[in-house]
Amino acid sequence: MTVLSIENLAVTFSTDTGDVPAVRDVSLRVRPGETLALVGESGSGKSTVALAATGLLAQNARVSGRISVDGTEVVGADESALARLRGRTVSMVFQEPATALDPLSRVGAQIAEVVRNHRRVSRAEAARAAVELLRRVGVAEPERRASAFPFQLSGGQRQRVVIAMAIANSPGLLIADEPTTALDVTVQAEILDLLRASAADSGTGVLLVTHNMGVVADFADRVAVMLEGEVVETGPVEEVLLRPGHEYTRHLLAAVPRLTVAEPERAKYAEKPERAGSAKEPAGSAPVVELRDVSVRFGRGHRTVKALTDVSLTVRAGETVGLVGESASGKSTAARVALGLVRPDSGSVTLFGSDLARTRGRPRRSLLSGVGVVLQDPVASLDARMSVAECVAEPLRVHQRGMSAPQRRARVAEALELVRLSDGLAKRGPRELSGGQRQRVSLARALVLQPRLLVADEPTSALDVSVQRTVLEVIAELQGELGFACLFVSHDLAVVQEFAQRVVVLRAGAVEEEGPTMTTLLRPETEYTRRLIAAVPVPDPVLQRRRRSALAAEATT
Amino acid sequence: METTLYLARRLLQALAVILIVTVVVFCLLHALPGGPARGILGPQATAQQIAAFNHEQGLDRPLPVQYVYYLRTLLHGDLGTSYTLNDAVSRLIEQRLPKTLVLTVLSALAGLAPAIPLGMWQAVRRNKPADHVVTALGFVAYSTPVYFLGLLLILVFTQTLRWFPSQAPQGDTLSQVFADPVALVLPVLTGAASMVAVFSRYMRAATLENLAEDYVRTARAGGSRPAAILWKHVFRNSLTPVIAMLGYYVPVLFGGALVVEQLFNYPGMGLLFWSAAQSSDYPVLLGCVLVISVATVIGTLLADVVQRIVDPRVKAERT
Repeated sequence: MTVLSIENLAVTFSTDTGDVPAVRDVSLRVRPGETLALVGESGSGKSTVALAATGLLAQNARVSGRISVDGTEVVGADESALARLRGRTVSMVFQEPATALDPLSRVGAQIAEVVRNHRRVSRAEAARAAVELLRRVGVAEPERRASAFPFQLSGGQRQRVVIAMAIANSPGLLIADEPTTALDVTVQAEILDLLRASAADSGTGVLLVTHNMGVVADFADRVAVMLEGEVVETGPVEEVLLRPGHEYTRHLLAAVPRLTVAEPERAKYAEKPERAGSAKEPAGSAPVVELRDVSVRFGRGHRTVKALTDVSLTVRAGETVGLVGESASGKSTAARVALGLVRPDSGSVTLFGSDLARTRGRPRRSLLSGVGVVLQDPVASLDARMSVAECVAEPLRVHQRGMSAPQRRARVAEALELVRLSDGLAKRGPRELSGGQRQRVSLARALVLQPRLLVADEPTSALDVSVQRTVLEVIAELQGELGFACLFVSHDLAVVQEFAQRVVVLRAGAVEEEGPTMTTLLRPETEYTRRLIAAVPVPDPVLQRRRRSALAAEATT
Repeated sequence: METTLYLARRLLQALAVILIVTVVVFCLLHALPGGPARGILGPQATAQQIAAFNHEQGLDRPLPVQYVYYLRTLLHGDLGTSYTLNDAVSRLIEQRLPKTLVLTVLSALAGLAPAIPLGMWQAVRRNKPADHVVTALGFVAYSTPVYFLGLLLILVFTQTLRWFPSQAPQGDTLSQVFADPVALVLPVLTGAASMVAVFSRYMRAATLENLAEDYVRTARAGGSRPAAILWKHVFRNSLTPVIAMLGYYVPVLFGGALVVEQLFNYPGMGLLFWSAAQSSDYPVLLGCVLVISVATVIGTLLADVVQRIVDPRVKAERT
């Protein structure tokens, strides 16, 4: 008995520049009540497999092989046969709750539409069913929320609406394509619980597409690992995550930053070579940047949003401070204040010993030239019309105008070498590079002025884990060599735990707690931080199962 | 309450824009040879008469003072006197404006009614022969000068087929205009042709953009049929940018009326503007400019209000 059976699936996209094979010879099975996780890095073809199973691939896709959903053949089926299947036998949950819903239709109506697509019920009955579904997916005040527009709901609530649409007709197969990637960890934990409960209730089989090994450990029964369009390893979750057979799986798992969650493991951490930066500088050295009682408000009048409230934080020479918190907690705003991009409404910012608010003109510019910045999106943060060399040279042109062209070229070459990019890439455009290479170009650009402070705002969250590993290694190594301080903004506690010596936890624009990373993350003082850490799934199915039942037990008491 | 506040603020903004327009028109009035005195006394006035008039009306006073004076006469509905038609500009506009409004509103409706479904139809059949044919026809319609198109229509429908007269309804009142609807067909068609071309293009682009949105995929994944998705979701989402464009299209419509009225001998604002331009009748020209500017401001205001009704997000953002 299977709800999904894929045999020898191959998908090729025909584009203007020729055929691009995306998936080759993939065979998978999902049984009722079972969750199969399809994992892999970007471009591995995992989402293509998911879309193929519902016949939702783009028009330029050529599909061969067999896909059978609950006995119905999908490959080659016409649109109306597929429409009968979708939403009733197989349904889907997507990655982006922000765009997955029609912005102009009320959410209740969108759920009711799926109900009416497959059941002959009146409008009123469908509307009642929609309210009932909203209640089932844990939306508070479902009667009222049903008449809300998507923009009036939070990301987590929107994802619940999408799930309500997906389970409206109790499908035999649920396909979830990165269902929690766009959400905060605490919301992710709730959504995963919801998906698990919905599937268990009705014996639904789940195909879970994800890149997050923690989510896999939390949710999946079996795992299929994809690499370049092919499945390289399949097996039970304990097998694949704890005793991976294929070299690529081992490599992938080794690259995943692991959150150390229990005391016994601490010894293991202590054995790791101490990060270079911390050893060099005595803890008492002068702060490189200091925010004192900084408050920032956006907007005016009754629409004012308090982005930061009395935030104080210090980064000392050579140290890395991790700034963590959920979305909208103010971490990026705090980083922007340190960069002088946002002027605080109250409080002071001291950069390299000078009060930033009182420094203007040329001194301010030279002060700010001591700060390098790396931002999240490697595509958007580099000018697509400039070559790599020009991107890296730009800060020199701005801040060191007296520099001659050969000197500048030498400095650019030096910076590119530092971030381990070959000279050959210098003349290329950013678009011709991979995500990891682009992020290293950003880093070279940030470091070319030999800054004393590097501000990195989610520098690796758009990257695959193995690429993230390389970029983080480069930053850490350079920090050891060059001795700059680093303000590291991230939502990923595991990355921060590996990377930062001290951590500051922000919550709704205020500092919740701060301290040395290991102490704070292992023995958090506040309930908020404890919940934040508990919500992070670890990529060890046995350990994760234990944590989850402990959490559930805690919740019931 | 929220809506009242919004409307009040939006109206105030519109008034501010109109005030700026009056400043521009005022400056243009003073750039005229002989200034506003000649505008009111007419081209036959002597230098002494002008000087006397200027003194009498305070036109030798500083410009800001004069602006206030100008604004006061404007508020009394006094736009000056035509050089050539020997009548108050305000009276001329009062007579002609309703007729032009009839022409432009009918043209806009006749243009939009086919343009919107056509654009959606093209989007669904993107890059298929039908889409290419309609696109080509659209470009032809858009690039054909209105004047030429009108002549062509007259040639076909008046000379050859003898279906419609080549003259628009004559007569000064609206009831006289509506008494002869057949005569309105050709002028309205001529005005509508470029609307069809332009707005089917906008609608095609907006529909294509929306068809690629994630919510379409979600609806498909829920088993909704393509036609249902198109009308229930894509249509409304695609309409909002088109509504916004419509507001900015008001001056273009007036520009079209200029040619259409001339061609079909329909004595509206366009013809008034045309003859005033030929006889250098500046007070009439500036009066028309003022009226068209106000119409544009009202057009964009209406477009904003309609958009607010269609798209709940606009309401949330702006209040």
